[in-house]
Amino acid sequence: MAVPAIETVKLTKVYKGELGEKSTVGVDALDLTVSQGGVYAFIGPNGAGKTTTIKLLLRLMHPSAGEVRLLGESIKGRQALAKVGFLPEQPRLYGYLSGREFLDFVGRLFGLSSAERRSRAEALLERVGLKDRAGQLIRGYSRGMMQRLGLAQALMNDPQLVILDEPMASLDPVGRKDFRDLILDLKKAGKTVFFSSHILSDAEMIADRVGMLHRGRLIREGEMADLLGQRVEAVDVVFEIADDDLLALKLTASDCVRQGGRWLSCQPDTASANRLAVALINQNGRLISMTPRQPNLESLFIDEIGGAS
Amino acid sequence: MRLLALVINTFKETIRNRILLNILVFAITLILLSLVIGDWSLGQQGKVIKDFGLSAMSIFGLLIALFIGLRLMVQELEQHTIYIIASKPVHRWEIVLGKFLGLGLTLAVNVALMTVALWLAGMLMEGGIDLALLPAIVLIYLEILIIVAFAMFYASFASPMMAAVFTLGTFAVGHLSGFLYDYVRLYPDRGLHWLLRGIYHIAPNLEKLNLKMAVVEGLKQPPHQLLHAAVYGLSYLALILLATALVFERKDLK
Repeated sequence: MAVPAIETVKLTKVYKGELGEKSTVGVDALDLTVSQGGVYAFIGPNGAGKTTTIKLLLRLMHPSAGEVRLLGESIKGRQALAKVGFLPEQPRLYGYLSGREFLDFVGRLFGLSSAERRSRAEALLERVGLKDRAGQLIRGYSRGMMQRLGLAQALMNDPQLVILDEPMASLDPVGRKDFRDLILDLKKAGKTVFFSSHILSDAEMIADRVGMLHRGRLIREGEMADLLGQRVEAVDVVFEIADDDLLALKLTASDCVRQGGRWLSCQPDTASANRLAVALINQNGRLISMTPRQPNLESLFIDEIGGAS
Repeated sequence: MRLLALVINTFKETIRNRILLNILVFAITLILLSLVIGDWSLGQQGKVIKDFGLSAMSIFGLLIALFIGLRLMVQELEQHTIYIIASKPVHRWEIVLGKFLGLGLTLAVNVALMTVALWLAGMLMEGGIDLALLPAIVLIYLEILIIVAFAMFYASFASPMMAAVFTLGTFAVGHLSGFLYDYVRLYPDRGLHWLLRGIYHIAPNLEKLNLKMAVVEGLKQPPHQLLHAAVYGLSYLALILLATALVFERKDLK
């Protein structure tokens, strides 16, 4: 069995308070196991401890207690980090370097040869859409360009595990879509992607597994499909029918809402929605759409946070 | 390879910094201006130029150490660019040493340019190059490196303002340690003498690295004295860098 990409055992971070202040717990005895391959979304409200956890994973911060292993290796020797790529939240990069120089510098930190650095940098600049601006100094880059260059540097070492901290928080809708596509490409290439986010719709679209963090504790974890389930909470039926025939459907005006020339009816389950559709056709009505309402990550998240508080 | 990458990156960072260029241009202009001042001092032109030039090197070196050395660390920590390098398979001590050596390289270029300016001024005034200035210049460079190392040390745990104050304080105490020693020796019963004695023993004695007066006056320095000063300076430097690496190793990069 493959070793987990990320494994934490009772990982804890306590911030000592300043004089007269109480200590606060940033991460509370976190046991987290992320298997290799796939996309893992690490979600939680602001202040839940997501960024602190990521900093502990990368040894940017030292744990008060507990252990971290990346790809089966302890991070104390730092060698495990050679197979890891990291993009910090809203990265600030060296403004005095050009995009190309910056990637070359990062390649040197990984000990890549000159030929490897050049070929990887050019391929990544092409992939993130910065090829034409690669010779410009980073201080002239927009936030979105900085984010894309940040992702490129995280991939310079062709990592097995990619850790992204709020990668889509500062991007516009087009940028977010590009970024989601990039993450899915990494998944296809067999990489493990672990990303934190508070934008739940993004997480729902691309993640295979989800971990919910609240006050430094993992309150729920599992496969996205299992968490959201196949349950249908209601079905919205939109149709057209003459007003006089509405009664024949055994519906009254109070069961429906008029939307322009159409009606919208919210049925409690799939069976009753189907019955309504059949009756509608029998009465020469026109079925426009049937849309099941399913729980999404946001509603699940709010339920979980409410339960944990 | 990693260390070299960090050194080159720091060198690029400092060399592309406009503040450095401004300080350097100002320093070289001042050294060349010493020709004019030398003209006013009858019969002492050569001495005035050397004195003025070496002092300018020392003071502008301190300014570069303060503005660039402090900024290097503070900017890295406050703007969080450190996350990129510290999350790579790089040891924290390599980051400290890489930054120090990169800045040391920049300072070497600066001191070399100031030396050329000083020699040029000397040539115009006296018609020759005074190689006897070299030991004093090497020790000035060593002193600047010690101040840079202190700036990095303080910046690794204190706020930028406090780090600047501590660095300036170290520079001042380093040049006054002879007075401290005399005071403690002459007045052993005065209050706080234990504190002054402690400061005297801990603070660097930067006057040991000060050969300005001797070379300006044309006094010969015995080689063992120069060697002693160099060994003292390098040992002190190594200690401060070690302390900085230890503090930085334990630091949480928030």
